[in-house]
Amino acid sequence: MTAQNRDDAPRTATRRPGAVRRFLATPRFFLIVLIIALVVVIGALKPSFFNGPFVIAPLLTSISIFTVVGLSQLVVMSVGHMNLAIGPMAAFGAMFAGMSFQLFGLPLWAGVVVGLLAGAAVGALSGWIIARTGVNSFIVTLAMSFALIGLVPTVYSWLTTGSAFTVKPDGLDVIGRASFATLCLGNVCGTNAIPIIVVPTIVTMAILGYLFTRTRIGRELLMTGSNVQAAELSGIPTSRRIILVHTLSGVLAALAGFLLAASTGSFTPGIGGEFMLQSFVGPILGGTLLAGGYVSITGTLLGITLTLLIRKGLDLFGVGIETLNILLGVILLIALSADRFRLIRTRRTRAAAAVAPPDDTGGDPHPTGPGADKKEEVSA
Amino acid sequence: MRRQVLVKAAAAAATAAIAVGMSACTAPADSGSATGAASDLSGINVALVPGGPHPYFQPWITGGDQAKADFGLGSVTFNETSGWDQSKQNDVINSLVANGTNAIGIFGVSPTDINTTFATLKSSGIATASLASCPAGDTNEALFCLSTDTGVAAYTAAKATIAAMGGKGVLVHLTGNNVDSNTQRRIEGVKKAVAETNGAVTELPDVTDIDKDLTTAQKAVADLLAAQGSQINGIVSTAYNPAVAAAEAVAASGLPIKLVAIDDDPTILQDITDGAVYATVTQNPVGQAYVGSYALAQLASGNCTMKDPGVIVDSGSFLVTKDNVKTYDDERKKKTQELQKQFADELMTCK
Repeated sequence: MTAQNRDDAPRTATRRPGAVRRFLATPRFFLIVLIIALVVVIGALKPSFFNGPFVIAPLLTSISIFTVVGLSQLVVMSVGHMNLAIGPMAAFGAMFAGMSFQLFGLPLWAGVVVGLLAGAAVGALSGWIIARTGVNSFIVTLAMSFALIGLVPTVYSWLTTGSAFTVKPDGLDVIGRASFATLCLGNVCGTNAIPIIVVPTIVTMAILGYLFTRTRIGRELLMTGSNVQAAELSGIPTSRRIILVHTLSGVLAALAGFLLAASTGSFTPGIGGEFMLQSFVGPILGGTLLAGGYVSITGTLLGITLTLLIRKGLDLFGVGIETLNILLGVILLIALSADRFRLIRTRRTRAAAAVAPPDDTGGDPHPTGPGADKKEEVSA
Repeated sequence: MRRQVLVKAAAAAATAAIAVGMSACTAPADSGSATGAASDLSGINVALVPGGPHPYFQPWITGGDQAKADFGLGSVTFNETSGWDQSKQNDVINSLVANGTNAIGIFGVSPTDINTTFATLKSSGIATASLASCPAGDTNEALFCLSTDTGVAAYTAAKATIAAMGGKGVLVHLTGNNVDSNTQRRIEGVKKAVAETNGAVTELPDVTDIDKDLTTAQKAVADLLAAQGSQINGIVSTAYNPAVAAAEAVAASGLPIKLVAIDDDPTILQDITDGAVYATVTQNPVGQAYVGSYALAQLASGNCTMKDPGVIVDSGSFLVTKDNVKTYDDERKKKTQELQKQFADELMTCK
């Protein structure tokens, strides 16, 4: 799912390549190829990789949670911001959800709503400070991160004896740990290789995809990320859009925190401790620009899948901690570099094609890489 | 060679389709079933999974290897790649099970979450033990927990410190992760010992969260001594890195502080010999791995069952002073033998 600023639509319409060819030129295609190659290689060397309940389902659970983490970063990256407080925001939102279950006995849906609202509130506060003061999002969210890292464990120590909310409402285990094997239609049941937790992630991706590709607000967010001054001159309320993306980021961080708590079993202050790196790696591998104006939702899913697949493969081979970290770094570096080489080669091909006769169909929305010309674009 | 890889890849892809598609119709894991004859444990693959890399767990490697040799286990794997993250630890455990592990001893990263992991493994027929730390709360979903009683060890260490201080003065407690329930038990153990002095000993606020690594601990101890070193009469450390850092700092500062540390890092033992450190409370990680592997193998093989599933067993803690610094390991080995006998004679019912 892609969209871009159409101010040059008439020109690109005459030079637009086929949909397939355009897709083949995206980072998503490259990621899909890499993922398939890795699955085949790991599966060939370690057939236990295809164990449904002990490998595939846990892998899909991790992918589901970290994709939401990546999307939480993606929404702020759409306006060229970043959120360094995603982990603590996840812990904050999850804390409110856990509190709702343990202290107030709320049902699952109500606790989730409370947790998401808490995430929204803290995200909105970050956005409001950024919009009002003009201080860089890096600084504001870093400060917010420190504040929450102090606040969350303190609240847990006030309200609990073991630094955790352990009460589980009905349905929490279903979301966090059940698989489609528990869902049956007559005698036919689903597979235990696919966990239920993929559902909220798919719904979240669909909602964000709709927001960025089908709504005016989505387009305005990308325009703000592309050029904030131009967006303001176009009548877009950029301050409100900045508050909106940070609020959304807080909601998504809280959702990721809730999903992690549901999968591990309790609500603790440690939730989100591993979120920050993955929140950047997923979107960036998927093609989302740090500078804003271009996002890729499916790319984020694929980026997260690649990194977790690499880790899972190394887990299966029983690689030691030092080797595991070195290999993870090297493989990710190769993946990022290979994508860059691919883009450079594409650019050179186009440069050569530019001197070819006018019937050439080499027109491309990415003349120097995905969104590098700062057109507003989304891939969902 | 290339063709072989391609054939293997094609076979793997086909297997994948069948495995994923049919997995709903198959048992989740059959690797946990009893294997071998009553005395044959060669089909048992034990894994020992700490919460992450930490010097405390390194003796698990020795204990596991020794158990493999002594009891004829199929394999004993030590995997420390969990990175102190519960979801990563779950991934590591799942991968081990997929690779054929049928008995696992785990130091759960999150004491409030690890019961969920144990319950999942139990439902798949995997024998589980909680090693070096028990789950939080009153329930232990593992077959047994073999761990230092952290509250008792901290109480013993604090009593020894107070005795070395002459029963009065100012005491500081250095410890690890504040949100860990074991840390809370240690804090309670120290406070109990202080309370028994009826006000003769006062305690400064606990210094927590400094067991992440040695550098963090060294900085915290240096700051503490710089700010309040002259007022402090005793330091009790119930975490590994702060103990090593405090031993170095107290020796270097020359302050008349009585230090009781934890564990038996060579630095600490040398400082006890030199008189710079008054005592240390050592634990029994080798015994946890050795006896834990033995019991897990017996349980996974079906030879034995736990009389009281979920029972908590103290793996022992030992006060080491200048008097017994050369001989304390004998005491620990004796405790390990007693533990094995306790499992065989009292805690398990065997065929």
